[in-house]
Amino acid sequence: MTLAVSLMIASALSLVAILWVTVTRGLGIPARPSLGDQIQPLDVEAFRNLADPAEDEYLRLRLPPSEFRKVRRTRLRALAAYVKTAGRNAAVLIRRGQDALTAGDAPTVEAASQMVNQALLLRRHAVLALVRIYGAMGWPNLNLPARPVLEAYLRLSGTAMLVGRLRNSAVPVRRSVW
Amino acid sequence: MLQAHSLLWDYLWLGPYVLELGLALLLWRRGTWRRFPLFFSYLVFAGIEGITLFGLDVTPRVTWQTWWGAFWVGTIVEALLKFGVIAELLHDLLGPWPALANAGRNLVTGAGVLLVLVAAVAAAFTAPDNTHWLISGSHTLMQTIYITDAGLILWVFLLAAYFHIPWERIRFGIALGFGAVWCEHLAAWAALSSNGLKVRPELLDLLNMATYHLAVLIWCYYLLVPHAASGKSALPLPENNLADWNRELERLLQQ
Repeated sequence: MTLAVSLMIASALSLVAILWVTVTRGLGIPARPSLGDQIQPLDVEAFRNLADPAEDEYLRLRLPPSEFRKVRRTRLRALAAYVKTAGRNAAVLIRRGQDALTAGDAPTVEAASQMVNQALLLRRHAVLALVRIYGAMGWPNLNLPARPVLEAYLRLSGTAMLVGRLRNSAVPVRRSVW
Repeated sequence: MLQAHSLLWDYLWLGPYVLELGLALLLWRRGTWRRFPLFFSYLVFAGIEGITLFGLDVTPRVTWQTWWGAFWVGTIVEALLKFGVIAELLHDLLGPWPALANAGRNLVTGAGVLLVLVAAVAAAFTAPDNTHWLISGSHTLMQTIYITDAGLILWVFLLAAYFHIPWERIRFGIALGFGAVWCEHLAAWAALSSNGLKVRPELLDLLNMATYHLAVLIWCYYLLVPHAASGKSALPLPENNLADWNRELERLLQQ
């Protein structure tokens, strides 16, 4: 009987989740209105520093083990915040890219398709990186390859700016940057 | 009214299957079936199966063992087709996005394996509700199938929601119909499989049939009614936010 009741509750929750997706899709409500359309600027240099294994190695050599574990956990929490922000920015760009896909001209559609693919890849990397980061919080000596997130983020930035420029020439992108 | 083979009962049993066959015919004529061949096969098979089972049920010469035997065979074939439809939906959903295609398929396959294990454990702990194995076994089989089906379709919805993958209209309609009916069926079969819950089986049958009818109507709406052109204009990329983002990148690259 407990099993039956558990299954009934699980199925009711599943149905609610599916209906929630249906309603938000039908009404065009963004999943998280507070974050919906905001791209949050990210300090890429700080992100690079936190994701750099050489920095961790340097700290490991310089600090006593207990102190290193404490510092590493603090750095991991900061890194998790950066990865989450990168993932949220990717989600915003997926939505924007989908809007841009309806544009008539081929270069914009091609760039938008590339942007959506890169944003999906970044979001995937972000999930894996977060799992590793939270794992490393329990085991601070664990090696942490978070660089794919940063690299994907930089690639996505370039494509996003290209799409922005193709869609609206008023967007201030300086070629000299690239 | 709520008893077996009342007018309402007969309508709810036969109505959805007749509609399914009509829908399959229209999909065939429009050529839409080529995009979702397994869903089309499911419609045809489920329609014929439902009507056949009704015919067997009202024919006095057919024994209950024969009826339940036919029900078992139909359920197993239908379950295979349903898994095929999920794979088809997933392929259609992830196809345009190569960055996610393989990872998405692996995630859903992994979830499927986990759900099968959960369903097997649930089946092992389900006490038989009837003296004859043909009947109690079919209830447990249905519970097992719907744990896997409902879990998989929920997983597909969550995957699409997390990655913000767009739901194209027809694909969404098929997934929504299945999602609604599988979640409800899971609850109903779990209640029926448990002999602790004193529920009237005919009421659960009516609820199952009514929900299935609703699912078929959802499919008819999404597959047959043309999509009204959206008045929403394409949104530009947010200039101010991108400008902020640009500044961060410029600062980095100039260092």
